[in-house]
Amino acid sequence: MGIQQIFNGVTIGMSYALIAVGYSLVFGILRLVNFSHGSVYAFGATITLYLISFNFGIMPAIIAGIILTGLLNILIDKAAMEPLRKQGAASITSLITTIGISNILTNLLIVRFGSQRRQFPSLFPDKTMNLLGVDIQYTQIGMLLISLVLMVILVLVVNKTKIGLAMRASEQNMKAAKLMGINVNFVVSFTFLLGGISAAIAGVLVSSYYGMAYPNMGYVSGLKAFAAAVLGGIGSLPGSIIGGVLVGISESAAATYLGSEFRDSVAFIILIVVLIIRPNGLLGKKEIEKV
Amino acid sequence: MKRSKINLMIISILAVAMFVTACSGGNGNQQGSGVNNEDAVRVIVAGPMTGDNSEYGIGFANAADLMAEKWNAEATIEGKTVVVEKYDDKNSPEEAVTVANRIVSDGNIPVVIGHFASGVSMAAAPIYQDNQIIEISPSASHPDYSGIGDYIFRNNTVIHAEASASVDIAVNDLGKSNIGIISIMTDWGVSTSGIVKEIVENDFPGANIVAHEEVIEGSDDYRPAISKLNDAGADVVITVGMYNLVAPVARQYKEINPDIEIVGFSNAYSQQLLELGGEYVEGVAFPVIFFSQSDDPKVVEFVETYKNKYGNEPSALTAQAYDSVGIFLTAVQNVGYGDTAALRDEIANLEYDGVTGFTKFDENGDVDKSFTKVVVRDGQFGLLK
Amino acid sequence: MRKDNIAKSKLTQLNNVKSILIGVIIIGLFLVPFVNTNNYYLNIINKVLIYIIMALGLNILVGYTGLVSLGQAGFVAIGAYTTTILTTRLDMNFFIATFIALIIAAAFGLLLGLPTLRLIGPYLTIVTLGFGEIIRTIIIIWAPVTNGPLGIRNIPRPSLFGIELTMNNGGLYILTLVSMLLVMLFCHQLYKSKTGRAMRAIKQDHTASIMMGINTTYYKVLSFVLAAIICALVGSIYSTQLGYIDQNTFTFDMSTMILSIVILGGMGTIRGMVLGSAVLVVLPELSRSLMDYRFVLYGLVLVLMMRFRPQGLLGWRDSSPYPLSEKAKETMDFQGKRGV
Repeated sequence: MGIQQIFNGVTIGMSYALIAVGYSLVFGILRLVNFSHGSVYAFGATITLYLISFNFGIMPAIIAGIILTGLLNILIDKAAMEPLRKQGAASITSLITTIGISNILTNLLIVRFGSQRRQFPSLFPDKTMNLLGVDIQYTQIGMLLISLVLMVILVLVVNKTKIGLAMRASEQNMKAAKLMGINVNFVVSFTFLLGGISAAIAGVLVSSYYGMAYPNMGYVSGLKAFAAAVLGGIGSLPGSIIGGVLVGISESAAATYLGSEFRDSVAFIILIVVLIIRPNGLLGKKEIEKV
Repeated sequence: MKRSKINLMIISILAVAMFVTACSGGNGNQQGSGVNNEDAVRVIVAGPMTGDNSEYGIGFANAADLMAEKWNAEATIEGKTVVVEKYDDKNSPEEAVTVANRIVSDGNIPVVIGHFASGVSMAAAPIYQDNQIIEISPSASHPDYSGIGDYIFRNNTVIHAEASASVDIAVNDLGKSNIGIISIMTDWGVSTSGIVKEIVENDFPGANIVAHEEVIEGSDDYRPAISKLNDAGADVVITVGMYNLVAPVARQYKEINPDIEIVGFSNAYSQQLLELGGEYVEGVAFPVIFFSQSDDPKVVEFVETYKNKYGNEPSALTAQAYDSVGIFLTAVQNVGYGDTAALRDEIANLEYDGVTGFTKFDENGDVDKSFTKVVVRDGQFGLLK
Repeated sequence: MRKDNIAKSKLTQLNNVKSILIGVIIIGLFLVPFVNTNNYYLNIINKVLIYIIMALGLNILVGYTGLVSLGQAGFVAIGAYTTTILTTRLDMNFFIATFIALIIAAAFGLLLGLPTLRLIGPYLTIVTLGFGEIIRTIIIIWAPVTNGPLGIRNIPRPSLFGIELTMNNGGLYILTLVSMLLVMLFCHQLYKSKTGRAMRAIKQDHTASIMMGINTTYYKVLSFVLAAIICALVGSIYSTQLGYIDQNTFTFDMSTMILSIVILGGMGTIRGMVLGSAVLVVLPELSRSLMDYRFVLYGLVLVLMMRFRPQGLLGWRDSSPYPLSEKAKETMDFQGKRGV
């Protein structure tokens, strides 16, 4: 039973990790906690479900949904966040803006699609195999593999490509990066695109795992993924994975051994304990305070 | 200079926003405007029209619209038109108190159909009671709700009778004896699962409860609870929750144990259960007071018109809202619209034959109804034999 | 010299006008329940006052000391539950129960404030957010005391000198108003005091204030405790008005609403809290007719206000005592962005 719970936890944890990546990437560059990210994740799942209903094939619909979500995230940045950056507004202002965006997005989704849970098709065969006494569903294997591949791609993009170099430069010092001829606005848009895409992929995977999608699905998951991002050290990609998996496992374990009522807050309890010991999360870099 | 321009802009944005909303707010919330208030019977529907639970509030509102249309077409209440007004409480107790005060301050409203969740209904109920406004909730299920006062009614079944029916399905119809319970942690879930336990212990000596798991509504992942139930050896699971609990539980349970039997409650009765659960809800059984495939002409007519207008089948709660409006309008027809006290007495004594069966409030303002047992078969709801 | 004098006398004149105006408004507010018999409007004004108090509390954290909390609803819940449990189960007097609630909230404020001292930015935000969620979980699982998901109903109304304070006789409203005025006066005095100046110094420049010998630990924890006490006070008062509380009364949405009021109104100011609360409480009421688009509009207002008035409706652009060049401001904003 123990291994089974851990495995279930890892599966769901990987999806938290995919959402957490969005928080982490954006925070790394903009020092901005993006509270609209949960609703972007819900948007990804809902819009994909909507596109699937047109019957032009599940895969094309998913790809279109993912791209649309990425574009939406860029739009959010261009319409609401970029003007604030230009004004040099305090980060708390941006935080309130993202809360406002989250309100707009979630409520528009509810107006358009209704608040009810709707069936999301399975992407993998509904089969279970038994490996060393652990029941493993094909869906779980699919989720794990896709998340892992995606994570590897993200890490490669950030560490090995030119745009990744630009991202890291902007993260270090946006002004200096600008002076070095880096198109910082493009870098930020690209970051939002990556965040949106990974959120949408997470949305599709989770919806298929549970067999349902609904506009408000990002509320709790968004908060937990934020906790995961901070737990691992916000701004660090491997940190997001570790944080996500830790949150997933602890949740699964808490629900099993303590009772389901603990599952929503155990992530926060662990987070607080970790932050007391390591104020910058598990893999977070120490912020150099300017004097 | 630039700053003052921006300030001006903000002030104008705010002013325009306030003005527009205030203007439309004057005769706001009204459907079928142009009707003089004096000649209208106003059906007030209060419930979540926005947010996470808006599907239920909108269901209430749809039901009220339909009932109003029916009465207006038949022109049953002499010289008066039935108009529906909708109030959004976001399913929050805080907003419900505001809505209740707004309804009270109107001064001419005798009856409110609504408030969805028990907690929300109970926050608003004392205000209605103090001001002698009749509240009929189609969904409130908290045991203490109807005890708040003599103006507080609910057209939702008393849990005890329904729980007995559910356990009866599990033990007698399905022939199982190792009962597992999975319940949501809401007022309804907590009290219902308690009653289920009591009933099994007292009335069904052959059966026993092997495990009881409580889950948070809307957490979507019920696997930890399910594996505990399964390890405890449950062969039937009584699922104390709405369709949005029953469908995922059925799915996630059958992944590890395809032979499990699942029994629900009447609020699982929704087209959404079939859509969300697909093949997994096959065989799920529960008692209902409203069954859309019933050959009762009233039900046939209601389901038909509802489907034509809104594209889906009405759920149990929607049907209960439909009857609640019907009860109110019948009472108005009998004793008139002006005297709230007379209206209250009429509603309390009315015997109404609606789509959810025969309704007569008892001295608490609760109803007791007969149940039909329903099972999902071949992707459809059918009668359980 | 003469110019100075004229300016000074004009200033005092202005101040006189201002204090007369404030006096008139306060008296007006006291008269509301006696002039106005419409419960709905009274309820809305009352709700505005309630949120003003909460915002004033959070303002000490955000506006004075510069710490962002997204868990204030947790403290409101502590206040509400402690008072309610004491009055319903032990038949305690409301005011004594409230007093105990404030002490418990202060303890929780201390509890939350201490470990979070080393945390900045998102780390602090998520811990406070987590605190709010943990409180909700405690309410659910500690059912023998809190009654769990069944909630507590029939919350008795406070009575003073044998008169039960209700919404209908305006008593609850007056209680809220008096509490708000007291909190407001407290915040006003705090802002000007040595403590307030120390808090503002920490917000402006943490490192510099350490250099100046300010005990930052003490002032940070103090602001947590003060914010907790004020929010718990609101919880106590508000629960008697709601009459029924459960774990869904005090959610993350309430916390974001309080923070939105503080930022929208203009953090660090008192008048800002008044206007911010008025806008964010009244707007969803006025826009009832929009039905399902109601909270789309709400979000839109937040976004637009932040876009065009990032310092808040009544906030200052910056509160530097000396003029800065545009360039210097830019660097300061930039550093602020990295720090907070």
